[in-house]
Amino acid sequence: MVGSGVKRGTAELAILSILGSGALHGYEIARRIEQQTQGKLRFTLASLYPVLYRMEQRGWVRGTWETSRNGRRRRCYRLTPTGKKRISPLRQEWSELFRALQQLTKVARA
Amino acid sequence: MPDWQELVRQRLAGLALEPCDKEEVLTELAGHLEEVYESMRRKGSSKQEAMRRALEQVTDWQELQRKIFFSRTKENTMTPRTTRFWLPSLVTLIVSMLMLPVLEWVGLRPQFLFLHGTHGSSQTYVFTVYTAWLMLLPLVGALGGYLSRRAGGTRHTIITSGTFPALAFGAVLFVVLPFKGFLEHGLEGGARSLFHTWTTEPFGALGVVAGWVLVPGASLLIGVLAYSGLARWRMKPAS
Repeated sequence: MVGSGVKRGTAELAILSILGSGALHGYEIARRIEQQTQGKLRFTLASLYPVLYRMEQRGWVRGTWETSRNGRRRRCYRLTPTGKKRISPLRQEWSELFRALQQLTKVARA
Repeated sequence: MPDWQELVRQRLAGLALEPCDKEEVLTELAGHLEEVYESMRRKGSSKQEAMRRALEQVTDWQELQRKIFFSRTKENTMTPRTTRFWLPSLVTLIVSMLMLPVLEWVGLRPQFLFLHGTHGSSQTYVFTVYTAWLMLLPLVGALGGYLSRRAGGTRHTIITSGTFPALAFGAVLFVVLPFKGFLEHGLEGGARSLFHTWTTEPFGALGVVAGWVLVPGASLLIGVLAYSGLARWRMKPAS
């Protein structure tokens, strides 16, 4: 079973990566992550917002209320300079983890 | 369509955040559920099906409430009111006050305005006009507005933060004037005479209120409104 720390790390990297292309509101973040991972990674309201709020507390993302053309108020999140700096080391950590797991499974198969 | 705001409010009734913070969370989550519902309806789902799919977004509301509470408070050392109002206000007050000696230091000294007294009085009032300071205050107002908006401040909070120095001067005058006799007693010579003129003579009081509250307030407000207009103009519509 994947631990909560690993899940949280994946979620943070996914959100940071998706926000790298521009400001988005919560629903759109979830929709784009699902779309870009062909449904392999899905965020529900319950899994998305606690992570988003924690990232905001850490200063990685910043949420501001904006009004769309149809008059709906939505909180749009954008990366802060701290958040931008976090993407690269997080990607590095995750690729190292996946490489290590791949090596491990290769050894186990051999 | 269901009242998502009310639904989320009921299910997260025990969320122990500050009222404004809680309201933001409820609005945001309700908006998310509404988007899910509308998306399902656009795809041809029935109202019941769309409702069911939206509600599937949360299986355990108590757990979500607990997670939101910890994610918004555990690492939070400042309340939203502090970040949205008090910090920007304090920054505008400090910057506006520091600007006075700095401007004098760089050689931008104040101008003097002479006004003759009324009622047959031969007295001439001298008012100090910090022209350079007043011209730079819109930038300070814009700074306060920017800091407050960045922290998620409302329109009212943004305006109050941006014009805070003038409001603070006004509050100080409001507090000082009733005690003018007591304060005047503690002053000596020229300072006492100046204080007496400021607080008693109509021109003096008007000069102080205009010079430290009304004109700086207007100057700060111009900055806040200009910044707000610019921010709205630059804001891209949410996709």
